[in-house]
Amino acid sequence: MLTLGVESSCDETSVSVVRDGKTVLSNVVLSQIDIHQAYGGVVPEIASREHVKGITYVFDQAMKQAQVQYQDIDLIAVTEGPGLIGSLLIGVNAAKVVAMNYGIPLVGVHHIAGHIYANNIEHDMEFPLLALVVSGGHTELVLMNDHYEFEKLGETQDDAVGEAYDKIARVLGLPYPGGPQVDKRAKEGKPVLDFPRPMIDSKDFNFSFSGLKSHVINLHHNMVQRHEEIIVDDFCASFQDAITDVLVKKTLEASKQYDVKQVIVAGGVAANKGLREKMSKTITHVPVYFPHIKYCTDNAAMIAVAGTFQYLKTHQASDMYLNGSSRLDLTLGA
Amino acid sequence: MKPSFKRLAIDTATDHLYLSVIIDDQEKGNVWVIGNQDHSVRIMPLMEELLQAEGLKLQDLDEVIVGVGPGSYTGVRIGVSIAKMIGYLNSCQVSKVSSLALLASSSQAERIVPFLDARRGNAFLATFHQQNHLLQRIQPDVLENVEHYLSQLKSPIDIVKVGKPDILKVLRSGLTEVVENVHELVPEYLQITEAERHLRAQ
Ligand SMILES: [Zn+2]
Repeated sequence: MLTLGVESSCDETSVSVVRDGKTVLSNVVLSQIDIHQAYGGVVPEIASREHVKGITYVFDQAMKQAQVQYQDIDLIAVTEGPGLIGSLLIGVNAAKVVAMNYGIPLVGVHHIAGHIYANNIEHDMEFPLLALVVSGGHTELVLMNDHYEFEKLGETQDDAVGEAYDKIARVLGLPYPGGPQVDKRAKEGKPVLDFPRPMIDSKDFNFSFSGLKSHVINLHHNMVQRHEEIIVDDFCASFQDAITDVLVKKTLEASKQYDVKQVIVAGGVAANKGLREKMSKTITHVPVYFPHIKYCTDNAAMIAVAGTFQYLKTHQASDMYLNGSSRLDLTLGA
Repeated sequence: MKPSFKRLAIDTATDHLYLSVIIDDQEKGNVWVIGNQDHSVRIMPLMEELLQAEGLKLQDLDEVIVGVGPGSYTGVRIGVSIAKMIGYLNSCQVSKVSSLALLASSSQAERIVPFLDARRGNAFLATFHQQNHLLQRIQPDVLENVEHYLSQLKSPIDIVKVGKPDILKVLRSGLTEVVENVHELVPEYLQITEAERHLRAQ
């Protein structure tokens, strides 16, 4: 079964061809990261402009690299949401044209389902499974008892992990995107600053990072006022230590409470080395998997994989009325 | 018998969704409906219906004519993305047309100013002259202060804010332009984004 995946929810235009929800034949990603760097974050209007500019080119490249014809495609899977609405609409409408042009079934895929299913490319999923989804827009713990059954155990009450990373990076004068920078500098520093671990002992699986973020920003501000020396590496190491402590502890507790067979860490922040190390070191009773770095950040291969399993499970295709939606519930996605 | 030339026209840059099927020199069917920020939902089903009524598939098209703005940014991107995809998938010709020219074609007046509101006293504007049911462009599409623009014009003019395009008139008037490389087609925004403006001002 050949699935054509399409992803345009944020600042990456991506099209991919995946066989049987497993083998990636092509995964073309046109990234706008260089463009948004100058603004310190994604500018939605610019993102939309770039998507419409690159859309057909990305389709063309993905098909050429996969060496398949549109007539060979069995399913089209497109990110339906959540994401930037103007960006989503480009991918959704492009996917609809392909579906109508060749009479291929079309499914709208939840972006987070994509992040979780990215894991299936290298490791078969075994249920029950626990997924920690961490990115610039999301921080949630999701339990899956079977393919395409999502139960949200908890989520952030305020900032997403990636968002907190970006803000801390900005305060410390590190370039956008801040996450990888903080991760890199953390390796050079020592976690000598005592930062709070919000909600680490709460009995639920929710998160909160705005308090930690404010604490770091305030301390930095006060130290600057007092002309104290700021050791950026130590700031990064301390911040990373605090945030990963919370993520790892909650994931460990959920994995035991729900007696899962494997733990998946997905989303852009899953590329974070500090998080990877601490997860693998702390959770040892079941395997902990991370998608390959190239499938952690937004890409269409993960959407194709998720779409394949969604279609196999539900046997339901969308009609030409499919629309993008900036907010979308994962548990209702299937 | 010589094969007929089949064209589809698309415009999503205004609050109306416009589609038209033209075979040779005849308009076979069209859709011009007011949208509620839902062009994205309705355009493909409407297109499918319109083509089916003529027994056509997307692959049968010889040309796609698309309104590239100026107008609503989100709106125009929907039509342009779809036109690009149809052109790319079927190696069919794509031509672009100003969404203001489409708007102007709805008027019978001699001097026409198509007008699409762009807030803060500004609008997307152009000036056309009409004679013998043919349009001639007098002024390019601009984004300008409305009062300033109109004060420079001699009356009487017909300011057109809403109107169903007359695609045959647009074609006869030669207001469409063939796109050389469909991959490079982008909407005509007529202004850089606010973020770019702020960055340049720094
Ligand atoms: Zn993502």
